Amino acid sequence: MADDAGDFSRSMGIATSGLRAQAGRMRVISENIANADSTAQKPGGDPYRRKVPTFTSALDRSLDARTVALGRVKPDTSAFRLKYEPTNPAADPAGNVKYPNVNSMIEMTDMRSAQRSYEANLNVISATRRMIQRTLDILKA
Amino acid sequence: MAINDLPMLAALRTKMQWHQERQKVLAENVSNSDTPGFQPRDLVAPKFNSAGQLTASSAGGALPMMMTSASHMKAPGGTVSFAEDRRAGFQTRPAGNAVNLEDQMMKVSANQMDYAAATSLYSRSLGLLKTAIGKR
Repeated sequence: MADDAGDFSRSMGIATSGLRAQAGRMRVISENIANADSTAQKPGGDPYRRKVPTFTSALDRSLDARTVALGRVKPDTSAFRLKYEPTNPAADPAGNVKYPNVNSMIEMTDMRSAQRSYEANLNVISATRRMIQRTLDILKA
Repeated sequence: MAINDLPMLAALRTKMQWHQERQKVLAENVSNSDTPGFQPRDLVAPKFNSAGQLTASSAGGALPMMMTSASHMKAPGGTVSFAEDRRAGFQTRPAGNAVNLEDQMMKVSANQMDYAAATSLYSRSLGLLKTAIGKR
């Protein structure tokens, strides 16, 4: 892609890496939301732990640009929610059940943010496409 | 004299290359809008003198390769490199990311509009040349 006409496709490639990263973030968020109420299998065990996506910026040699990629998905180390539910099969001897440290409010705002970033990258792609179209229009003149 | 060496066409071509390069830089900023510690970048707009040539202040930092003989090979990639605009953004988030998405979106659309203007001017100039050689 080092030729002259390849510069726009490089912009497209960078924006595509952004789309891919945000889609991966969305996957992690949906995993968190889906598991918001899952408890442990055995009494007193640990439930689902919230996952946090990270982003890393890497130099893509073929594009000669800093693209973005989804880094390691790290566990959220904050404390679990405790609920007193003696009848729950996952309850410990004291009758407490551990629930995942997922706060659906935080997940929702995160999801919105992922959506906005995704749209911004799409916007860049459509702007670049319009620019390519303008270049081709020179040929028609 | 090749058709691309006409001063007006050469200047427009340089401007279009600048827009192309800037689109790449802006795409980088937008795609890294959630990367911790990322600083957005931009390019300085090119300035032309009355002869349609790029003035020294707007050329890039790297020294260009000189062709002193016809048998020399051209430098690969674009013929011009553009200077980087080093003004930082006005807000930085706690993670160290300074990309302002609204700002970047405005820049992308402005870039696209200016590119459209440059390409229109280019095709108009070509039309002018066609008229000059008597083609209707």
